[in-house]
Amino acid sequence: MRGHGFLTGAYIRGNSPLHKAPVGLKVIALLLISILALSLTSTIVLSALLVVTALLYIVARLPWSRLGRTLQASAPVVVVLGAFQWWLAGPVVAWHVVAIVLCTILASGLLTGTTEHSAVLDALARWISPLRRLGADPERFALTVSVMLRSLPFIVGSFQDVRDAARARGLEHNVRARTLPVLITTVAYARQTGEAMMARGLGDDDELG
Amino acid sequence: MIELAAATYGIRADDGGLKTLLQPTSLTITEQRTAIIGSNGSGKSTLLRLLNGLLLPSGGSVVVNGLNTAQHGAQVRSRVAFMFTDPLSQLIMPTPLEDVELSLRRKHRNAAARRAAALKALDTQGVAHLAGSSVYELSGGERQLVALASVLATEPDIVVLDEPSTLLDLRNTSLLRQRLRALPQQVIVATHDLDLAADCDRALVVESGAVVFQGTPDAAVDFYRASVA
Repeated sequence: MRGHGFLTGAYIRGNSPLHKAPVGLKVIALLLISILALSLTSTIVLSALLVVTALLYIVARLPWSRLGRTLQASAPVVVVLGAFQWWLAGPVVAWHVVAIVLCTILASGLLTGTTEHSAVLDALARWISPLRRLGADPERFALTVSVMLRSLPFIVGSFQDVRDAARARGLEHNVRARTLPVLITTVAYARQTGEAMMARGLGDDDELG
Repeated sequence: MIELAAATYGIRADDGGLKTLLQPTSLTITEQRTAIIGSNGSGKSTLLRLLNGLLLPSGGSVVVNGLNTAQHGAQVRSRVAFMFTDPLSQLIMPTPLEDVELSLRRKHRNAAARRAAALKALDTQGVAHLAGSSVYELSGGERQLVALASVLATEPDIVVLDEPSTLLDLRNTSLLRQRLRALPQQVIVATHDLDLAADCDRALVVESGAVVFQGTPDAAVDFYRASVA
């Protein structure tokens, strides 16, 4: 399944300043970019923020194909959202909405592209650990978020696979043929992942926490 | 040692009745290598899943090294490693290194120590050079070896494998057989590969949810061939 290979969120090994930056700093930067994008009212400044975020891919020394794949994956949502906003409120508002969405998607891509999955897992467990006294289980929480992040590219890839399969059968306009298999695949994938985690003792009470 | 005492497993069928996947089974497995052979849907995987507590028996008991799977599931799973037919089903993290590290999170809280141990586990299986690759870009044989490294990293007492060579070509099957022969752990392997079964000390034949024969691999394979002829 191509879904397996659709890794827009995958880490790309590297030695750039962004790769070396602490996870916490990168998460704060991601939040700042997102909040800034949401709060900016100037079209020019917002556009500049989008350009700067895209240019950070050069700083991170991530391949251009990575940027292209990220944009390609988000294109359906961005186009529909932009068109709807254009119809509803005009081109300026539409551009604002599109730029905000792209800023956050590109910034998220920078975080996942320059940070190992296990580093994110470690950081999440560390940040949640003060809540242990309230009954929270940091390891379980980190594992849950980690599995969720790992699942997103699979689900996006499943949409592509199913779309291709529907096209091959001449059913590209059949909504049921394009969505139902994704639902079934996703449920099967979730069950499979759950069984694999259980088999490895991940999430067992006596192991975590 | 693994002991099944009248262990049975059933599921609720669509018509509301109980469908038995494993008939009441009593057996003791002490041999280092045991093969389980039988047709598709015969109950091999159900039997395997009972051994590490992935499934709990509907009746009877399964005891692994003195631990009842129904009462000590977590401890049993930490001692009994399980390998699925498709290694992609069990590789949870995006790279081999990170996946092995995930197995080692309890054993090594320190990230650097965990990484070193994970690299060593991969190196033992000869796949350390794939540490940073995407698990989706590996060949079937490489994935199987990474999955093996992942489950062995926690140093289990028993390794249970569900048709590990089904998706492998001849070369990789041969490689996997070599690796399994070298394992110091007790190994229970369900397989359609009768050569792999022949490597074992004992073999069970499972048909229609029941162990219908047990003995030497040669005798078991003869029985199995005769039963499907």
